[in-house]
Amino acid sequence: MTFLKVIRWMVWKDLISEVRSRETISSMFFFALIVILVFSFSFSMDQQAARELIAGIIWVAFVFTGIIGLGRSFSVELQNDCLEFLQMSPASKGAMYLGKVMANLIFMLTVEIILFPMFVIFFNLDVIEEIHILLLIFFLATFGLSAVGTLFSALTVQIRAREVMLPILLLPLVVPVMIAAVEATKGALNGDPLAGYWQWLELLAIFNVVFTVVSFWMFEFVMDS
Amino acid sequence: MNKVIRRIQRYQGWFGAGAAGCLLVGLYLGLIASPPDYYQGEVVRIMYIHVPLAHTSLLAYTVLFGGSVWYLWKRDPLVDNMCHAAAGLSAVFTSLALFTGMIWGKPTWNTWWTWDARLTSFTVLLLILIGYLMLRTFIDDPEREARFAAVVAIIGFVDLPIVHFSVEWWRTLHQPQSFSLRGVSISSDLLFPLIMMSIGMSLLFTYMLLVRTQMLYLTNLLHAKKGRLLGQFHLSKADS
Repeated sequence: MTFLKVIRWMVWKDLISEVRSRETISSMFFFALIVILVFSFSFSMDQQAARELIAGIIWVAFVFTGIIGLGRSFSVELQNDCLEFLQMSPASKGAMYLGKVMANLIFMLTVEIILFPMFVIFFNLDVIEEIHILLLIFFLATFGLSAVGTLFSALTVQIRAREVMLPILLLPLVVPVMIAAVEATKGALNGDPLAGYWQWLELLAIFNVVFTVVSFWMFEFVMDS
Repeated sequence: MNKVIRRIQRYQGWFGAGAAGCLLVGLYLGLIASPPDYYQGEVVRIMYIHVPLAHTSLLAYTVLFGGSVWYLWKRDPLVDNMCHAAAGLSAVFTSLALFTGMIWGKPTWNTWWTWDARLTSFTVLLLILIGYLMLRTFIDDPEREARFAAVVAIIGFVDLPIVHFSVEWWRTLHQPQSFSLRGVSISSDLLFPLIMMSIGMSLLFTYMLLVRTQMLYLTNLLHAKKGRLLGQFHLSKADS
Protein backbone atom coordinates (compact mmCIF):
# COMPACT_ATOMS: atom_id res chain seq x y z
CA MET A 1 0.00 0.00 0.00
CA THR A 2 1.22 3.45 -0.75
CA PHE A 3 1.96 5.96 1.99
CA LEU A 4 -1.10 8.12 1.34
CA LYS A 5 -3.38 5.11 1.14
CA VAL A 6 -2.27 3.96 4.60
CA ILE A 7 -3.04 7.40 6.02
CA ARG A 8 -6.45 7.39 4.36
CA TRP A 9 -7.32 3.92 5.63
CA MET A 10 -6.24 4.73 9.18
CA VAL A 11 -8.45 7.82 9.25
CA TRP A 12 -11.30 5.98 7.58
CA LYS A 13 -11.10 3.04 9.99
CA ASP A 14 -11.17 5.33 13.05
CA LEU A 15 -14.04 7.40 11.67
CA ILE A 16 -16.09 4.33 10.77
CA SER A 17 -15.67 2.74 14.17
CA GLU A 18 -16.50 6.04 15.84
CA VAL A 19 -19.62 6.52 13.73
CA ARG A 20 -20.73 3.01 14.65
CA SER A 21 -19.97 3.11 18.38
CA ARG A 22 -20.16 6.86 19.09
CA GLU A 23 -18.09 6.22 22.21
CA THR A 24 -15.17 8.62 21.98
CA ILE A 25 -16.86 11.81 20.88
CA SER A 26 -19.82 11.44 23.21
CA SER A 27 -17.65 10.74 26.25
CA MET A 28 -15.39 13.67 25.38
CA PHE A 29 -18.39 15.92 24.92
CA PHE A 30 -20.06 15.11 28.22
CA PHE A 31 -16.80 15.32 30.10
CA ALA A 32 -16.21 18.80 28.65
CA LEU A 33 -19.72 19.85 29.58
CA ILE A 34 -19.05 18.81 33.18
CA VAL A 35 -15.76 20.73 33.16
CA ILE A 36 -17.59 23.87 32.05
CA LEU A 37 -20.14 23.42 34.83
CA VAL A 38 -17.45 22.86 37.44
CA PHE A 39 -15.68 26.01 36.32
CA SER A 40 -18.79 28.15 36.44
CA PHE A 41 -19.44 26.90 40.01
CA SER A 42 -15.83 27.43 41.12
CA PHE A 43 -15.54 31.04 39.99
CA SER A 44 -18.41 33.40 40.56
CA MET A 45 -17.89 35.45 37.47
CA ASP A 46 -19.18 38.82 36.41
CA GLN A 47 -18.77 40.10 32.88
CA GLN A 48 -15.34 41.61 33.59
CA ALA A 49 -13.85 38.55 35.33
CA ALA A 50 -15.27 36.27 32.65
CA ARG A 51 -13.39 38.18 29.98
CA GLU A 52 -10.11 37.75 31.87
CA LEU A 53 -10.52 34.06 32.64
CA ILE A 54 -12.49 32.65 29.76
CA ALA A 55 -9.56 31.91 27.43
CA GLY A 56 -7.91 29.83 30.13
CA ILE A 57 -11.13 28.00 30.96
CA ILE A 58 -11.78 27.18 27.32
CA TRP A 59 -8.33 25.68 26.89
CA VAL A 60 -8.29 23.74 30.14
CA ALA A 61 -11.58 22.18 29.07
CA PHE A 62 -10.29 21.46 25.56
CA VAL A 63 -6.99 19.97 26.72
CA PHE A 64 -8.61 17.72 29.33
CA THR A 65 -11.18 16.43 26.88
CA GLY A 66 -8.42 16.06 24.32
CA ILE A 67 -6.54 13.79 26.70
CA ILE A 68 -9.63 11.60 27.08
CA GLY A 69 -9.90 11.28 23.32
CA LEU A 70 -6.18 10.67 22.86
CA GLY A 71 -6.14 7.98 25.53
CA ARG A 72 -8.99 6.16 23.84
CA SER A 73 -7.36 6.48 20.45
CA PHE A 74 -4.98 3.61 21.14
CA SER A 75 -6.71 1.83 24.03
CA VAL A 76 -9.48 0.82 21.62
CA GLU A 77 -6.77 -0.90 19.57
CA LEU A 78 -6.17 -3.30 22.46
CA GLN A 79 -9.45 -5.06 21.72
CA ASN A 80 -8.94 -8.10 19.51
CA ASP A 81 -5.15 -7.45 19.62
CA CYS A 82 -5.46 -4.80 16.94
CA LEU A 83 -2.38 -3.06 18.31
CA GLU A 84 -0.23 -6.11 17.66
CA PHE A 85 -1.52 -6.33 14.11
CA LEU A 86 -0.65 -2.69 13.59
CA GLN A 87 2.84 -3.39 14.92
CA MET A 88 3.32 -6.41 12.69
CA SER A 89 1.87 -4.79 9.61
CA PRO A 90 4.38 -4.07 6.84
CA ALA A 91 2.71 -0.71 6.18
CA SER A 92 4.70 2.41 6.96
CA LYS A 93 4.58 3.25 10.67
CA GLY A 94 4.94 6.93 9.85
CA ALA A 95 1.80 6.78 7.72
CA MET A 96 -0.06 5.10 10.59
CA TYR A 97 1.08 7.91 12.85
CA LEU A 98 -0.13 10.61 10.47
CA GLY A 99 -3.45 8.80 10.04
CA LYS A 100 -3.96 8.63 13.79
CA VAL A 101 -2.99 12.31 14.17
CA MET A 102 -5.60 13.28 11.58
CA ALA A 103 -8.29 11.10 13.18
CA ASN A 104 -7.58 12.53 16.63
CA LEU A 105 -7.55 16.03 15.18
CA ILE A 106 -10.97 15.44 13.63
CA PHE A 107 -12.41 14.07 16.90
CA MET A 108 -11.04 16.88 19.01
CA LEU A 109 -12.04 19.63 16.58
CA THR A 110 -15.55 18.21 16.33
CA VAL A 111 -15.95 18.33 20.09
CA GLU A 112 -14.45 21.82 20.24
CA ILE A 113 -16.79 23.13 17.57
CA ILE A 114 -19.81 21.71 19.39
CA LEU A 115 -18.59 23.08 22.73
CA PHE A 116 -17.58 26.56 21.71
CA PRO A 117 -21.15 27.84 21.19
CA MET A 118 -21.90 26.68 24.74
CA PHE A 119 -19.08 28.82 26.06
CA VAL A 120 -20.48 31.70 24.04
CA ILE A 121 -23.91 31.22 25.59
CA PHE A 122 -22.90 30.43 29.18
CA PHE A 123 -20.27 33.16 29.46
CA ASN A 124 -21.86 35.85 27.26
CA LEU A 125 -19.05 36.13 24.76
CA ASP A 126 -19.05 38.36 21.73
CA VAL A 127 -17.30 36.48 18.95
CA ILE A 128 -18.97 37.08 15.61
CA GLU A 129 -16.23 39.25 14.07
CA GLU A 130 -13.32 37.13 15.25
CA ILE A 131 -14.75 33.71 14.49
CA HIS A 132 -12.42 32.91 11.58
CA ILE A 133 -9.29 33.72 13.58
CA LEU A 134 -10.59 31.71 16.54
CA LEU A 135 -11.12 28.73 14.29
CA LEU A 136 -7.54 29.08 13.05
CA ILE A 137 -6.27 29.14 16.66
CA PHE A 138 -8.36 26.06 17.51
CA PHE A 139 -7.00 24.22 14.51
CA LEU A 140 -3.34 25.05 15.15
CA ALA A 141 -3.40 24.33 18.89
CA THR A 142 -5.40 21.13 18.49
CA PHE A 143 -3.03 19.93 15.81
CA GLY A 144 -0.13 20.45 18.22
CA LEU A 145 -1.94 18.51 20.95
CA SER A 146 -2.74 15.73 18.55
CA ALA A 147 0.81 15.52 17.14
CA VAL A 148 2.43 14.95 20.55
CA GLY A 149 -0.57 13.24 22.13
CA THR A 150 -0.87 10.55 19.48
CA LEU A 151 2.74 9.49 20.00
CA PHE A 152 2.32 9.34 23.77
CA SER A 153 -1.00 7.55 23.47
CA ALA A 154 0.71 4.83 21.45
CA LEU A 155 3.48 4.71 24.04
CA THR A 156 1.45 4.69 27.24
CA VAL A 157 -1.03 2.11 25.97
CA GLN A 158 1.77 -0.45 26.10
CA ILE A 159 2.67 0.09 29.77
CA ARG A 160 1.15 -0.32 33.21
CA ALA A 161 -0.86 2.58 34.72
CA ARG A 162 -1.54 3.99 31.27
CA GLU A 163 -4.40 6.28 32.30
CA VAL A 164 -2.10 8.02 34.76
CA MET A 165 1.00 8.23 32.63
CA LEU A 166 -0.57 9.85 29.56
CA PRO A 167 -1.41 13.17 31.23
CA ILE A 168 1.75 13.12 33.35
CA LEU A 169 3.94 12.84 30.26
CA LEU A 170 1.82 14.92 27.93
CA LEU A 171 0.87 18.01 29.96
CA PRO A 172 4.38 19.36 30.65
CA LEU A 173 5.28 18.93 26.99
CA VAL A 174 2.30 20.90 25.71
CA VAL A 175 2.95 23.90 27.97
CA PRO A 176 3.92 26.01 24.92
CA VAL A 177 0.69 25.05 23.16
CA MET A 178 -1.34 25.94 26.22
CA ILE A 179 0.33 29.33 26.68
CA ALA A 180 0.14 30.25 23.00
CA ALA A 181 -3.47 29.10 22.63
CA VAL A 182 -4.64 30.94 25.75
CA GLU A 183 -2.84 34.17 24.86
CA ALA A 184 -4.04 34.13 21.26
CA THR A 185 -7.61 33.31 22.27
CA LYS A 186 -7.54 36.08 24.85
CA GLY A 187 -6.35 38.51 22.19
CA ALA A 188 -9.00 37.45 19.72
CA LEU A 189 -11.83 37.58 22.27
CA ASN A 190 -10.76 41.05 23.41
CA GLY A 191 -10.88 42.19 19.80
CA ASP A 192 -7.20 43.20 19.77
CA PRO A 193 -5.53 43.85 16.40
CA LEU A 194 -4.17 40.65 14.88
CA ALA A 195 -0.57 41.92 14.98
CA GLY A 196 -0.79 41.97 18.80
CA TYR A 197 -1.01 38.19 19.08
CA TRP A 198 0.26 37.02 15.70
CA GLN A 199 3.51 35.77 17.28
CA TRP A 200 1.54 33.15 19.24
CA LEU A 201 0.10 31.74 16.03
CA GLU A 202 3.63 31.57 14.64
CA LEU A 203 4.78 29.75 17.77
CA LEU A 204 1.96 27.22 17.37
CA ALA A 205 2.91 26.68 13.72
CA ILE A 206 6.57 26.12 14.65
CA PHE A 207 5.58 23.71 17.43
CA ASN A 208 3.40 21.75 15.04
CA VAL A 209 6.07 21.42 12.37
CA VAL A 210 8.80 20.44 14.83
CA PHE A 211 6.72 17.88 16.69
CA THR A 212 5.09 16.35 13.67
CA VAL A 213 8.54 15.67 12.25
CA VAL A 214 10.11 14.40 15.49
CA SER A 215 7.09 12.28 16.48
CA PHE A 216 6.84 10.88 12.96
CA TRP A 217 10.39 9.64 13.37
CA MET A 218 9.92 8.45 16.98
CA PHE A 219 6.69 6.58 16.26
CA GLU A 220 8.65 3.77 14.64
CA PHE A 221 10.48 3.11 17.90
CA VAL A 222 7.24 3.16 19.86
CA MET A 223 5.52 0.69 17.53
CA ASP A 224 8.52 -1.61 17.32
CA SER A 225 7.43 -5.08 18.45
CA MET B 1 32.96 -8.25 32.81
CA ASN B 2 32.31 -5.53 30.31
CA LYS B 3 35.44 -3.77 29.03
CA VAL B 4 33.87 -0.33 29.33
CA ILE B 5 32.98 -0.95 32.97
CA ARG B 6 36.56 -1.95 33.77
CA ARG B 7 37.84 1.20 32.15
CA ILE B 8 35.34 3.31 34.09
CA GLN B 9 36.47 1.72 37.33
CA ARG B 10 40.08 2.54 36.55
CA TYR B 11 39.55 6.22 35.73
CA GLN B 12 36.54 7.36 37.76
CA GLY B 13 38.68 8.35 40.74
CA TRP B 14 40.33 11.12 38.73
CA PHE B 15 36.97 12.74 38.08
CA GLY B 16 36.08 12.54 41.76
CA ALA B 17 39.41 14.06 42.80
CA GLY B 18 39.17 16.79 40.15
CA ALA B 19 35.64 17.65 41.27
CA ALA B 20 36.69 17.85 44.93
CA GLY B 21 39.67 20.07 44.04
CA CYS B 22 37.73 22.50 41.85
CA LEU B 23 34.82 22.71 44.27
CA LEU B 24 37.07 23.38 47.28
CA VAL B 25 39.00 26.12 45.45
CA GLY B 26 35.77 27.55 44.04
CA LEU B 27 34.05 27.56 47.43
CA TYR B 28 37.03 29.27 49.09
CA LEU B 29 37.19 31.92 46.36
CA GLY B 30 33.45 32.40 46.23
CA LEU B 31 32.54 32.36 49.89
CA ILE B 32 35.64 33.92 51.45
CA ALA B 33 38.04 35.58 49.01
CA SER B 34 35.69 37.34 46.58
CA PRO B 35 34.20 40.75 47.43
CA PRO B 36 30.47 41.10 48.17
CA ASP B 37 28.28 42.44 45.39
CA TYR B 38 27.69 46.20 45.20
CA TYR B 39 23.90 45.88 45.10
CA GLN B 40 23.17 42.51 46.66
CA GLY B 41 25.87 42.42 49.36
CA GLU B 42 26.69 39.01 50.85
CA VAL B 43 23.52 37.51 49.43
CA VAL B 44 25.19 37.20 46.04
CA ARG B 45 27.37 34.34 47.30
CA ILE B 46 24.62 31.82 46.76
CA MET B 47 25.16 32.47 43.04
CA TYR B 48 28.32 30.31 43.25
CA ILE B 49 26.12 27.35 44.08
CA HIS B 50 22.94 28.21 42.20
CA VAL B 51 24.35 28.99 38.76
CA PRO B 52 26.65 25.92 38.54
CA LEU B 53 23.76 23.70 39.65
CA ALA B 54 21.58 25.11 36.90
CA HIS B 55 24.32 24.69 34.29
CA THR B 56 24.97 21.15 35.39
CA SER B 57 21.33 20.16 35.26
CA LEU B 58 21.23 21.26 31.63
CA LEU B 59 24.49 19.45 30.95
CA ALA B 60 22.97 16.32 32.47
CA TYR B 61 19.89 16.62 30.27
CA THR B 62 22.11 17.07 27.22
CA VAL B 63 23.97 13.89 28.14
CA LEU B 64 20.59 12.18 28.55
CA PHE B 65 19.53 13.36 25.09
CA GLY B 66 22.80 12.30 23.44
CA GLY B 67 22.63 8.94 25.16
CA SER B 68 19.01 8.41 24.12
CA VAL B 69 19.78 9.05 20.45
CA TRP B 70 22.78 6.77 20.76
CA TYR B 71 20.68 4.06 22.38
CA LEU B 72 18.01 4.11 19.67
CA TRP B 73 20.77 3.86 17.10
CA LYS B 74 23.00 1.16 18.62
CA ARG B 75 20.71 -0.48 21.23
CA ASP B 76 23.55 -0.88 23.71
CA PRO B 77 22.07 -1.60 27.18
CA LEU B 78 25.02 0.06 28.91
CA VAL B 79 24.11 3.33 27.17
CA ASP B 80 20.59 2.91 28.52
CA ASN B 81 22.00 2.54 32.02
CA MET B 82 23.89 5.78 31.47
CA CYS B 83 20.69 7.52 30.35
CA HIS B 84 18.86 6.28 33.42
CA ALA B 85 21.69 7.58 35.61
CA ALA B 86 21.84 10.94 33.82
CA ALA B 87 18.07 11.42 34.16
CA GLY B 88 18.13 10.82 37.90
CA LEU B 89 21.08 13.17 38.35
CA SER B 90 19.50 15.81 36.15
CA ALA B 91 16.37 15.67 38.30
CA VAL B 92 18.44 16.10 41.46
CA PHE B 93 20.46 19.02 40.06
CA THR B 94 17.32 20.68 38.69
CA SER B 95 15.51 20.49 42.03
CA LEU B 96 18.57 21.81 43.86
CA ALA B 97 18.86 24.68 41.35
CA LEU B 98 15.19 25.54 41.89
CA PHE B 99 15.59 25.29 45.66
CA THR B 100 18.69 27.52 45.85
CA GLY B 101 16.99 29.89 43.43
CA MET B 102 14.07 30.22 45.83
CA ILE B 103 16.45 30.99 48.70
CA TRP B 104 18.15 33.61 46.53
CA GLY B 105 14.86 35.02 45.30
CA LYS B 106 13.49 35.81 48.76
CA PRO B 107 16.00 38.60 49.65
CA THR B 108 16.52 39.93 46.10
CA TRP B 109 13.03 39.78 44.57
CA ASN B 110 11.23 39.67 47.90
CA THR B 111 9.35 36.52 46.94
CA TRP B 112 10.04 32.80 47.08
CA TRP B 113 8.44 32.08 43.81
CA THR B 114 7.35 33.87 40.70
CA TRP B 115 6.21 32.60 37.31
CA ASP B 116 9.19 34.07 35.54
CA ALA B 117 10.57 32.59 32.32
CA ARG B 118 13.52 30.65 33.60
CA LEU B 119 11.83 29.43 36.76
CA THR B 120 8.91 28.17 34.75
CA SER B 121 11.02 26.40 32.15
CA PHE B 122 13.12 24.74 34.85
CA THR B 123 9.93 23.59 36.54
CA VAL B 124 8.73 22.12 33.26
CA LEU B 125 12.13 20.45 32.86
CA LEU B 126 11.78 18.90 36.31
CA LEU B 127 8.27 17.66 35.50
CA ILE B 128 9.48 16.07 32.27
CA LEU B 129 12.30 14.32 34.14
CA ILE B 130 9.95 13.07 36.85
CA GLY B 131 7.62 11.76 34.14
CA TYR B 132 10.59 10.03 32.53
CA LEU B 133 11.65 8.37 35.78
CA MET B 134 8.08 7.33 36.60
CA LEU B 135 7.63 5.87 33.15
CA ARG B 136 10.66 3.65 33.69
CA THR B 137 9.13 2.13 36.80
CA PHE B 138 5.92 1.23 34.96
CA ILE B 139 7.46 -1.02 32.31
CA ASP B 140 8.44 -4.61 33.04
CA ASP B 141 10.29 -5.51 29.87
CA PRO B 142 13.77 -3.89 30.12
CA GLU B 143 14.24 -3.57 26.37
CA ARG B 144 10.92 -1.78 25.98
CA GLU B 145 11.66 0.35 29.04
CA ALA B 146 14.91 1.56 27.48
CA ARG B 147 13.30 2.24 24.10
CA PHE B 148 10.30 4.17 25.44
CA ALA B 149 12.43 6.13 27.89
CA ALA B 150 14.72 7.22 25.05
CA VAL B 151 11.71 8.41 23.03
CA VAL B 152 10.42 10.47 25.96
CA ALA B 153 13.86 11.98 26.61
CA ILE B 154 14.28 13.02 22.98
CA ILE B 155 10.82 14.58 22.73
CA GLY B 156 11.40 16.42 26.01
CA PHE B 157 14.77 17.75 24.87
CA VAL B 158 13.30 19.09 21.63
CA ASP B 159 10.49 20.68 23.64
CA LEU B 160 12.70 22.58 26.08
CA PRO B 161 13.79 25.48 23.82
CA ILE B 162 10.18 25.95 22.68
CA VAL B 163 8.98 25.96 26.29
CA HIS B 164 11.70 28.47 27.12
CA PHE B 165 10.81 30.88 24.31
CA SER B 166 7.10 30.65 24.92
CA VAL B 167 7.46 31.37 28.62
CA GLU B 168 9.94 34.15 27.91
CA TRP B 169 7.40 35.94 25.72
CA TRP B 170 4.78 35.27 28.32
CA ARG B 171 6.57 37.07 31.18
CA THR B 172 10.08 37.91 32.27
CA LEU B 173 11.56 39.09 35.53
CA HIS B 174 14.76 37.08 35.92
CA GLN B 175 18.03 39.04 35.83
CA PRO B 176 19.82 38.66 32.50
CA GLN B 177 22.26 35.78 32.29
CA SER B 178 25.66 36.59 33.76
CA PHE B 179 27.56 35.22 30.86
CA SER B 180 26.35 34.62 27.36
CA LEU B 181 27.94 34.38 23.96
CA ARG B 182 27.67 38.12 23.40
CA GLY B 183 29.91 39.09 26.27
CA VAL B 184 30.42 39.01 29.97
CA SER B 185 28.36 41.23 32.27
CA ILE B 186 30.03 40.31 35.53
CA SER B 187 33.25 41.49 37.14
CA SER B 188 36.19 39.10 36.90
CA ASP B 189 36.50 38.86 40.70
CA LEU B 190 33.14 37.16 40.73
CA LEU B 191 33.51 35.37 37.42
CA PHE B 192 36.60 33.30 38.20
CA PRO B 193 35.15 31.50 41.23
CA LEU B 194 31.94 30.99 39.31
CA ILE B 195 33.77 29.28 36.46
CA MET B 196 35.72 27.21 38.96
CA MET B 197 32.49 26.09 40.60
CA SER B 198 30.88 25.31 37.23
CA ILE B 199 33.81 23.13 36.21
CA GLY B 200 33.83 21.45 39.61
CA MET B 201 30.10 20.78 39.49
CA SER B 202 30.37 19.31 35.97
CA LEU B 203 33.19 17.04 37.11
CA LEU B 204 31.14 16.02 40.14
CA PHE B 205 28.26 15.19 37.81
CA THR B 206 30.57 13.13 35.59
CA TYR B 207 31.89 11.23 38.59
CA MET B 208 28.41 10.52 39.91
CA LEU B 209 27.27 9.52 36.43
CA LEU B 210 30.06 6.96 36.14
CA VAL B 211 29.36 5.48 39.57
CA ARG B 212 25.61 5.35 39.05
CA THR B 213 25.88 3.87 35.55
CA GLN B 214 28.06 1.11 36.94
CA MET B 215 25.62 0.49 39.75
CA LEU B 216 22.63 0.16 37.42
CA TYR B 217 24.63 -2.05 35.09
CA LEU B 218 25.78 -4.34 37.88
CA THR B 219 22.27 -4.55 39.32
CA ASN B 220 20.98 -5.74 35.96
CA LEU B 221 23.81 -8.21 35.63
CA LEU B 222 23.22 -9.55 39.13
CA HIS B 223 19.52 -10.10 38.49
CA ALA B 224 20.30 -11.88 35.26
CA LYS B 225 22.99 -14.15 36.69
CA LYS B 226 20.96 -14.91 39.80
CA GLY B 227 17.87 -16.07 37.98
CA ARG B 228 19.59 -17.42 34.91
CA LEU B 229 16.84 -15.62 33.08
CA LEU B 230 19.14 -14.06 30.56
CA GLY B 231 16.41 -13.84 27.96
CA GLN B 232 14.36 -11.53 30.14
CA PHE B 233 17.15 -9.07 30.81
CA HIS B 234 18.60 -6.50 28.56
CA LEU B 235 22.33 -7.25 28.50
CA SER B 236 25.00 -6.65 25.94
CA LYS B 237 26.25 -9.63 23.96
CA ALA B 238 29.57 -9.63 25.77
CA ASP B 239 27.90 -10.53 29.07
CA SER B 240 25.28 -13.07 28.09
